[in-house]
Amino acid sequence: MSEAKADPLFRKSIVFCAWSGLAAIVLFIIGGVFLGGMLPPLLHANDSPAEFVRKVSEHLFEIRVGSVFLMLSFALFGPFGAGIAALTRRAETSPAFSYVQLVFTACGTMVALLVAFTWALMVFRPDEYDPTLVQMFADFAYFLAVFSVPCFGGWCVVIALPILLAEEGKAPFPRWVAYVNLWAVLLFAPGQMVLFFKDGPFSWHGIVALWIPFVAFFLWILIMCAVMLKAVKPGAQVRPA
Amino acid sequence: MGDLMVFSVFFILIAIGQKEHAALFNASRAQLDMWVGVFNTFLLLTGSWFVAIGVARCRAGLSAGGARNFTLGILCGVGFVANKAVEWGGKISDGLSPATNDFYMFFFVFTGIHLLHVLVGLVVLFVVRSASCRPTIGVRELRTIESGAVFWHLVDLLWVVLFALLYLL
Repeated sequence: MSEAKADPLFRKSIVFCAWSGLAAIVLFIIGGVFLGGMLPPLLHANDSPAEFVRKVSEHLFEIRVGSVFLMLSFALFGPFGAGIAALTRRAETSPAFSYVQLVFTACGTMVALLVAFTWALMVFRPDEYDPTLVQMFADFAYFLAVFSVPCFGGWCVVIALPILLAEEGKAPFPRWVAYVNLWAVLLFAPGQMVLFFKDGPFSWHGIVALWIPFVAFFLWILIMCAVMLKAVKPGAQVRPA
Repeated sequence: MGDLMVFSVFFILIAIGQKEHAALFNASRAQLDMWVGVFNTFLLLTGSWFVAIGVARCRAGLSAGGARNFTLGILCGVGFVANKAVEWGGKISDGLSPATNDFYMFFFVFTGIHLLHVLVGLVVLFVVRSASCRPTIGVRELRTIESGAVFWHLVDLLWVVLFALLYLL
């Protein structure tokens, strides 16, 4: 598509979207890993309600500041997803998949923002809430994050499909990107098991249901950002549409 | 390749469980019917064999032979799913569920995730089969066929390890 080459604003927009994704990763690491105690999990699904309150009260200030960072991080999913949709749109003659991607982007952003809302509410007044409510807020946050497989998995599928179905040379991204996205879906999938277990590797503090989906998700963002930057790199061969 | 890494984590988890609760794992394992597992392994290996022949036929430009072999591969996969359903049904009616103990938790969840892969693999094989039915098999069709076949072999490979860890060890 020759006009993309002659459209410096489009290139800058995509660079902005890709950096939004990268910033989301950094902000999550600050807010969720260092301050918020989301990953590695400070709380455990099988702790007693009193234990939840005790742990949360001990780290009240860090978790509050962490929640602000989480909010910032998750809000950036919007531009990140829109950038992928814009690049997909460029390769489509009549748009369809790019629209579906936008729907999933909006849905995923909203679900992720609710994770931050819930995490913040959990530390708003843990001493006044009934301890089981603090427990429920933690459950709620992790359920939003890892039980939402069809939302985030569906997003990956509609990124992969236009690549695989495109005619030769007209795909929005290289083929391996499609396979990465389909693989990501399989990695998110164990998150659905958190409903059935309160202890062990399949509970929301376990390796299979928490660590694998979370790490996969942020690696996925990292890969997609790199791919977006590459797609609009000056001098990179612009895909014909 | 990515899936191999994730399943490696699963395999390590089973190994840790085995080490920590050796008696429980051995007792629970004795309740599994090894021959059901053997039969499923046989089905998947046969399926992979058909798929491999199908790919070779397509490479040689014999599309009819290719499609027939992929159909046989799909039938093996469907047999696997049916056999798994019977096995799970039997276990559940015996009162064994993922909540019974750690061994059955691993058994149901990991064979369940693998079953999900088999189902995805069956869809992939249908795509492969339809690609092999095209009048001319070009580079593009051959790429679809080969990538799909590789995924099916992966599903097979994962089962072989899972079978050894859950049924045989």
